[in-house]
Amino acid sequence: MKDKDRTHFGYREVDRDAKAGMVADVFHSVASRYDLMNDLMSAGIHRLWKRFTIELSGVRRGQAVLDIAGGTGDLAARFADIVGAEGRVVLADINESMLQVGRDKLLDHGRLGNLEFVQADAQSLPFPDDSFDCVTIAFGLRNVTDKDAALRSMLRVLKPGGRLLVLEFSKPESELLGKAYDAYSFRILPLMGRLVANDSDSYQYLAESIRMHPDQETLQEMMEEAGFTRCEYHNMTGGVVAVHKGVKA
Amino acid sequence: MNGNLDPALVTAVLAAVENGLNRALELAPETRAQLEPFADDVFALHCTAPTLDVYLRPGGQGLQLMAVYDGPVTTSVRGVASDFAELAMAKDPAATLINGQLELDGDSAPLLELRSILAGLDMDWEAPLVSAMGDVAGHQFAQMLRATYGWGRQATASLTRQLDEFIHEEARITPPRLELEDFYRDVQALGLQVERLASRVERLRKRLHKLRP
Repeated sequence: MKDKDRTHFGYREVDRDAKAGMVADVFHSVASRYDLMNDLMSAGIHRLWKRFTIELSGVRRGQAVLDIAGGTGDLAARFADIVGAEGRVVLADINESMLQVGRDKLLDHGRLGNLEFVQADAQSLPFPDDSFDCVTIAFGLRNVTDKDAALRSMLRVLKPGGRLLVLEFSKPESELLGKAYDAYSFRILPLMGRLVANDSDSYQYLAESIRMHPDQETLQEMMEEAGFTRCEYHNMTGGVVAVHKGVKA
Repeated sequence: MNGNLDPALVTAVLAAVENGLNRALELAPETRAQLEPFADDVFALHCTAPTLDVYLRPGGQGLQLMAVYDGPVTTSVRGVASDFAELAMAKDPAATLINGQLELDGDSAPLLELRSILAGLDMDWEAPLVSAMGDVAGHQFAQMLRATYGWGRQATASLTRQLDEFIHEEARITPPRLELEDFYRDVQALGLQVERLASRVERLRKRLHKLRP
């Protein structure tokens, strides 16, 4: 089989066509306890990462926002408050279970009117060109099979001057932090997954997929190659997470 | 951007402060309502020592503190932390803003108005106390707190006034403000008179020089 037909699923090499289904299985499995696990795994710091991403997005009242891989809707809920009734927020996720959990959560919190829910693949977004002022993807890009295609698709749906924000795990800046982070990811995370979500394999995949994800500089280059301008990134928590920003010219 | 500080750390601090302020505003609905007209304003506070940028967006829901904001700001203020503290505590914030070390860009009126609203924050503890302790005990406790707070405020104001009077009038450790301002005016007038006298002497000296054979 040709190399271009193969891709990574964590540390394993799998058929490109099979990855989406395997990732889907992971998220079907963790969807119901996704928020709880996020809080446990990051000690609640994921809320700060998301908050900084929202500030960096510069979204204002009346704008249109697309939150890809929006999962349980943390970003979409905040964006819905910011854009107000005259704005529009689309929460998109390829995974039906995640989308359902997110939709139920937001509706239960009384958020409706300016929110739409769409099951969509980031690689081929089902929206017209120049539709959104801002596109965000938080902790989702590493699960996408063809990241370049996804970045190009995001560029297409952005309006000129629109911003893309990619919040994703990245490479720690210090070696010492990297070692501590490795120990945490490969020993404690799967254990937590087993105890809380009764699923250690999914959290083993999480740790592996983070290591296989492009580092800060590589992702910035990928964004530039996709056609984004004024690309920059901000490391958070010592580079454990980075938020990349790019603008459509 | 906030120097070399980790954005997550700055965001954590701002989130904690914002949470505290908004909790306080929840207990002061009148103050919160006064913030509503500022919904379209963003105030940039650039602290140069320590390096910290804070963007403050008030609104009917409370206050929002941000580490980054790339839109237009209503007022931008730059200075060191002590200058900001001075402005926050000043009796006359307008004078502090004009005469102090802070660099101001934009419209100062909304900033001064916001500062005055926040300085006048008057929290009503009764609602949370009643829900925690029950109607009777909560009401009694809230009344006690109100009385203690009122007495404390009055006592502080009275003590400050008496201390001020003692220092300026009785012990004469420092002159009163008005006396000092009067003295400065006299010094300024004397300076002008001396300058006039000097130029008159100079004129006379030149005339005398011309009259000499």
